[in-house]
Amino acid sequence: MGVKAKKSNADAVYSKKSGKTSNPFDSAISQTSKRLNPFDVHVNKEKFKILGRICKHDRGLPGVSRAKALKKRAETIGKQYEVKHKTNKFRDHRIGKHLTGEQLTESVMNARYLAEKLSQVRASNKAQKFNLNDDELLTHRGQTLEEIEKYRDERSDDEELEDEGLDAEFTSAAHFGGGADATQDRQTAIEEMISEQKRRKIEIAKDKDEVHDLTEKLDANYKDLLSLVAKATKDEQIAKPPPDDYDKLLKEMIFEPRGSVTDKLIKPEDLAKQEAARLEQLENERLRRMKADDEQPETTVQPHRSADDLDDGYFATGIEDDADDTLAYDLDGNLGTHLNSKKDTSKVQSNDKSEDGSDDEGGEEDDDEEEESDSDSESEADNLSDLKATDSEPDSESEQAPQPKKTKSKSQKQKVSETIETSIPYTIKMPKTYEDFAELLAKYTPAQQVTVVERIIKCNHPKLEGVNREDVVKLFGFLLHYIKDMFEDASELDIGSHFKLVSQLMPHLHDLVHLNIDRMSNTLLDVIKEKYAEFRKNHKIYSTLDTLIYFKIVSNLYSTSDFRHPLATPTYIFMQHMLSRARVRTRQDIAMGLFVVTIALEFGSRSKRLLPAIFNFLQGIVHMAIPKRQQERVEIAPPFEQDGPFSKLLAIPVTSDTKALQPQKLQPADLVTQTIDVDFRVRALDSTLCLLKQIFEEQMGEHTGACYLAAPFLPLIEQLPMNLYPEHVQQHCAEAKSTLKSVAEQKMKPLAPPDKKPKALRLLEPRFEMVYDDKRRPKMSKQKEERAKLLHKIKREKKGAIREIRRDTAFVQDLRLKQQIQSDNERREKVKRIYQEASVQQGELNELARAKKRKKF
Amino acid sequence: MKQNSLENKSGNKQAAELAAKRANVPPALQQKANDFLNSSPVNTKALKQMVNLLENPDSNAVGIMYVLEVIFRNLLKRKLISTAENKKSKGNAQAKPQEPNATCQIQYNKAWSLLLANLGNTSKEEAGGALKVCMQLIAAEAKHSSSNAWPVTRLRSILEALINAEATPTAALAEFAKFTRCLDVLQFTYQLLPGLAPKSFVDTPNLAFNYLAIINVLDLGKTVLNDKQFHIGPESTFDYERTRQLLNKVWSGVIASCNGVDEKVHRQVLVVLLERILPHLKDPILLTDFLMDSLHQFDGPIALLALQGIFTLMQKQNITYPDVYQKLYNMFYPRMFYNKYKARLFYLADIFLTSTHLPENLVAAFAKRLARLALKSPTEDAIIMIRFICNLLLRHTGLQRLICATGAASVAEIADPYDETELDPVKAGALQSSLWELVLLQKHAVPEVANAAKFINKSLPMVEFDLSSLLEIKECNIFDDEVKKEVKQFTMAYERPTNFALPQYDIVTKYWDIL
Repeated sequence: MGVKAKKSNADAVYSKKSGKTSNPFDSAISQTSKRLNPFDVHVNKEKFKILGRICKHDRGLPGVSRAKALKKRAETIGKQYEVKHKTNKFRDHRIGKHLTGEQLTESVMNARYLAEKLSQVRASNKAQKFNLNDDELLTHRGQTLEEIEKYRDERSDDEELEDEGLDAEFTSAAHFGGGADATQDRQTAIEEMISEQKRRKIEIAKDKDEVHDLTEKLDANYKDLLSLVAKATKDEQIAKPPPDDYDKLLKEMIFEPRGSVTDKLIKPEDLAKQEAARLEQLENERLRRMKADDEQPETTVQPHRSADDLDDGYFATGIEDDADDTLAYDLDGNLGTHLNSKKDTSKVQSNDKSEDGSDDEGGEEDDDEEEESDSDSESEADNLSDLKATDSEPDSESEQAPQPKKTKSKSQKQKVSETIETSIPYTIKMPKTYEDFAELLAKYTPAQQVTVVERIIKCNHPKLEGVNREDVVKLFGFLLHYIKDMFEDASELDIGSHFKLVSQLMPHLHDLVHLNIDRMSNTLLDVIKEKYAEFRKNHKIYSTLDTLIYFKIVSNLYSTSDFRHPLATPTYIFMQHMLSRARVRTRQDIAMGLFVVTIALEFGSRSKRLLPAIFNFLQGIVHMAIPKRQQERVEIAPPFEQDGPFSKLLAIPVTSDTKALQPQKLQPADLVTQTIDVDFRVRALDSTLCLLKQIFEEQMGEHTGACYLAAPFLPLIEQLPMNLYPEHVQQHCAEAKSTLKSVAEQKMKPLAPPDKKPKALRLLEPRFEMVYDDKRRPKMSKQKEERAKLLHKIKREKKGAIREIRRDTAFVQDLRLKQQIQSDNERREKVKRIYQEASVQQGELNELARAKKRKKF
Repeated sequence: MKQNSLENKSGNKQAAELAAKRANVPPALQQKANDFLNSSPVNTKALKQMVNLLENPDSNAVGIMYVLEVIFRNLLKRKLISTAENKKSKGNAQAKPQEPNATCQIQYNKAWSLLLANLGNTSKEEAGGALKVCMQLIAAEAKHSSSNAWPVTRLRSILEALINAEATPTAALAEFAKFTRCLDVLQFTYQLLPGLAPKSFVDTPNLAFNYLAIINVLDLGKTVLNDKQFHIGPESTFDYERTRQLLNKVWSGVIASCNGVDEKVHRQVLVVLLERILPHLKDPILLTDFLMDSLHQFDGPIALLALQGIFTLMQKQNITYPDVYQKLYNMFYPRMFYNKYKARLFYLADIFLTSTHLPENLVAAFAKRLARLALKSPTEDAIIMIRFICNLLLRHTGLQRLICATGAASVAEIADPYDETELDPVKAGALQSSLWELVLLQKHAVPEVANAAKFINKSLPMVEFDLSSLLEIKECNIFDDEVKKEVKQFTMAYERPTNFALPQYDIVTKYWDIL
C-alpha cells in the first residue's frame, strides 16, 4: 500500500510539473478572480462633461453594494428585531468578557480558571474543602490530558494519512464491476467485504509493528556505527597526497590580504597638466575675490551687437581673455605657471623615488604622506630624508633655501652646517612657554634656528598626534613673538641677520599656517590689532619695526589681492593710517615709510588697487629732497612740513661730492638709524624715483584718472637739483619724469553709464480667471461662506440619514412580511394536515359504515 | 537737646560711611572722622591733622576731600563755623571768646584754599573731586547761614582759581559744567565774570584761554532753561533777561580786549562766540567786522569758524556776503584733513550747498574739488566726500552730466578741462569735466571707499545720504569695523614663498637689500 501511495504522490508531483509547462490557459485570468463582471457595473451617464468637477458616482456596483447594505442591516437591525419583545438574554459574566481574540491572554485565562475554582469551592460542602487531592480532571477537547499523553505516537504519522475507507479497487469492482460476480448474492458479497477489510487492517498493523521494531533496532545500533564513521574520514585525510608548490601558491594567494587600491601611476605630463589646471583654478578664484562679488562685469565696454544677433557667439567673447590675464610669461616666452608646475612635479617625483627607497623602514608614515596634498609632499619628503639619511642633509638644506648670495661661500657654509647640524637633536619637544622657546633658539646660530623650527614643526605635526593641533598654534604664536623680540630693539649690526632669519622662516611660517588656517590667522590678526591699538595711542609716531615685519608676513602668506580680506584689509587701513599721520623726522621714519610703501605696493601688485597715502608719502620724499631757501614754501600735505628744517631732510648740500656713489638698494640698517647721511639721501631719492616709475608703469598707468595721481609729482621733480646727483639717479629721474608725463597727459573719455540692455517687450499672455465654477453666486464674507458651506453639508447629511431610515424601515417591513408569510404557511400546512387527518378519519368512518351496511345486507 | 545730638551723631556716622563708600577712603581715616564727629567738644587738633593731610602730596587726596566735606558740612550744621558772610558782619571781636570755633574757622578757610589749589590738578579725579566738594560746601554754607544768602565770594574764589590755573583745568571745568546747569550758579557766574576778566588777553594768553573756557561751559540753551535746576534751594531766583545783560557785558569785555591775540585764543574766542554767545547777543550785527577780519586775515580753522559765524549772521540778520562761496571753495585743500574742525567744514558746506538755486558750474566745481581731495584724503573723509558728491548730484540734476555724458561728447577723449588752481569756482570749468576721480576711487584699497564710489555705475539713489552720521567716524572706527566682521575666511596665497620675497610680483626685495 505504501508503495502505491508513493506512486500516487509522485504522479501528483509530475502532473503538477507537466501541467505547469503545458497548460496554454495558464496565463488566462480565471472567471472567478476578482474582476468586475461588466454586467454588474452600473454606469451613470453624464449629460455634460464639466472641467474640474470631480464625479464620484460615475460608476457603481449596485448588486454588491446592496448585498453589503443588506448584510449590515441583518447584523444590526435584524438582530435587534429578533430579540424584540424578548425578556431573556444570554449574558457572559466571565472575567474579560469584552475581550476577544488576541486580547485573551494567558493571564486572563488563568484568572478565569481561578475564579471558577473558587466558586466551586464556595459552592461545595465543607468536607470538600480540605481535600488535598485534586480530583478534577483537566480536559482538552473532551479528552483527559492523561489519555492524550498515553496514546501519543512517537513514530512518524505519515502512515496515518491512509484512509480507512474502502479500497478503490474494491469499490470500483463492487459498484461498477458489471455482471461478473452477479451470480453471487448480496449477503455473501458483504460478508466477503467485511472479512477482507479486517484482514487488511491486521496486515497494516503487522507492517507497522515490523517497521517499528526495525527502527528501534537501528537506533540501538547507531551508536556503535558512529565511531566507525569518524575513523573512516580520518583515514581518508591521511591518505591525501602532500600539497605541491602549485597548491601552496594557490592557498597563499587565496588567503593573502588583498592590497588596497592605489591610484594608477600618472605620467609626468599628466601631472604637469593637473598642476597647471589646479593653479589656474586657484588663480580664477583669486580673480573672482579680487573683483568684489557685486561688481558687474558689464562695466567693461561691450562690443556692439546688433539686435538681430543670435546669441551664438555669446560665450566666446570675454572668457578667454580672462584666462590669458592670469598666466604670466617668463623671459623665454614660456608660461610662468606651467614652468613652476613642471618644476614642482619633477621635485615631487624625485621625492617619490626617495620614498620608495626608504619604504621598508618608514612604512607607518606612508599613510600620512599619501594623504598630504601635492604641495606638502615636498616638505614631507624632506622630513624623511632628514630623519633617516644624514649624509643627504646638507643637500636638502641648500635646496630648501635657494639664495643667490649664499652660493659664493656655499662649500664653506656646507662644511659649517655639517659640523653644527650634528649637534641639533632630531626630535625636539614642543617648548611649553615662550621663555623656553626663546632659550632653545638662543642656543643655536641663526642658520640652525631655522632647522630647529623646522624640526619642531615636523615632530609636532598634527597628523602624528591630536594634541599637537594646539601645539602648532602655540608655536606660531611663539614665532610671532620671537620676531617681535628680534626686531623691536634691533641694532644696526644684527638687523641684517634678523632679516635673513625671517626670510628663511617664511616657508615654514607658510606651512605652519596651512596646518590650521583659522586659528593661526586669528592669532596674527590679534597681533595686528594689538599693534594698531598701540599705534592709535599716538599716531604721530611710527610703530616699531616688528609691525612692519608682520605686514610683510601678511603680504607673503595671504591672498592680499582680495577685494575684502579679513587680514589684508585691516592691514591696508593700518598702513594708510600710518603713512598719512606719522611724522617724518628721522632717517628711520623715512626708511620705515618707504618700507611700508613697498609692502603696500606688494599688496596691490595683482589687484592694482591704490592706497592714496602712498602717493602722498612719495611726494613728501621728493619734496624733502628739494633744497629750499629760508622762508620758501612748497605746498605739501601733512604729515610733511611745508617749511622749517624737517622740510629739507633729504636735500643734499651743494658742496658734497656724490658723483662717485654706486647704485645701491635701501639698506636694512636704515630702518634702525636716526642720523641722515648723504648716502642715504641719494639712496632714498633714487628708490623713490624707481618706485614712481614702477608704480605708474605697472600698477596705476592703466587706470582711468591716474593722471590725477601723477600730475602733482611733476612740479616737484622739476625742482630737484639733478646736477648734484650721480649718474644713475639722473637716469632714473629722467625715466620717472617721462613716465609721469605720459601718464599725466592721459586723455579720458567722459563718463557715461554703461549701455543698458534693451528691455524686452512685455509678452501678452491670456489671463485666466481663477474661478472655474459657472455658478455665479454673490460674493460673501468668509464667515458667511463658511456657514453656507456647513448648512449645505447639513442638508446633504440629513437627506442621507432620511434615506437610510427609509431603507431600514423597508428592511424591517420585509422581515415582518417574511415572518408573516412563514407563519401563514405554517398555519396553512397545519390546516391542511388537519383536513387530511379529518378526511382520512371520515374515510375510515365511511368505510366502517359501508361495511356495516354490507353486513346488514 | 541731647537726644537731638545723639541722632545727629548717628546721622553723622551714616553720612561718613556714605562718603567713604563714594570714594575709597581708607578705613583708618574713616574711623578718625567718625571719632572726631562723635566727640562732643570739638577736637581741634584732630581737625588740624586731617586738614594737613590734604597738604601731603602722596596721600589719598580724593578720600580726604570727601571726608573733609562730611566733617565741614557737619560743623556748618552745628554752627561751629560761621559762614563767610556772617564773619564779615560780625568781625573779629566775636570770634575770640569761642576758642574752638575760631580754630575751626581757620581750618575751614585753610581747607578751602587747599581745595582751590587742587582744582588745577592734572589728575582728573582729584580736580573733579575738589570742585565737587567745593560746590557741596557752598550749598551747605548757604543752607546753614543765618541770612540764607548765596555765598558768592566762595564762587568767586573758585572762578579765580580756575582762571589762574597754569594749565587749562579741563577736569575741573568738566565738573563745573555739570553745576552750571543749575540756573543760580549760571547767573552768579555771569555776574562775577566781568570783574574777573584778565587785564590783557595778549600778555596773558593762558588766563584768557581759561577765562574763555569758563564761558564755554556756561550754557544758556533752551534745555537748561527748561530744566530749571537750582543748586541751592528752590527759592533762588533766575532772570533770563538779567543774565542776558550780564552775558552781553562779559562779551563786550572780551571783544574789547581781544585785539591782536594769538591764534589759539582767537580760535577759542570764536568757538565761545559761536557756541554760547551768539544766540543771546543783543546786537549781533556788530560782530560782522570782527568776523570779516577773522575770515580774511587768517586761514584754516579760524577762517572756518568765522565763516560759520557769518553764516549765522546771514541767516538771522540778513547780511549779504557775495564771496562766501569762493571763500568756502578755497577752504577745501589737502591740509584741511589734518584740521580739528573739518567736520564743521563739511557740515557748513552741506548747508551752504543745500540751495538748488546755485549756478551749476559753481556746484560742479565743488564736486570736482571734493573728488580730487578724496584721492588724497584719509579713508573716512574719502567716504564722506563721495557721499557728499552723490548728494550734490541728486540736488542738482544738471550735474549728472558729470557722470553720464551725452552721446556726442562721450566719444572724444579729452584731458580734464577742470582747472584745479583757479581760485574762483565759477571759472574753474568744472562743468565740462567728468568725475573720473570716482572711477579711480573704485580701485581704492579700502573696500568701504571702493563700494561708496561705485554709485556712479548704478542709478542714483532716491534719497540723499545722511552725512551727519558719517562725520563722527574716525579712521580707527573703520579698522574696528573691518576687524569685527563676523564672516572670516582667511584665503591664503597659493604660492609658497621660499624666502622674504614673493614668488611673483615682488617689490620689497627689489628696493631693499634684505636677501
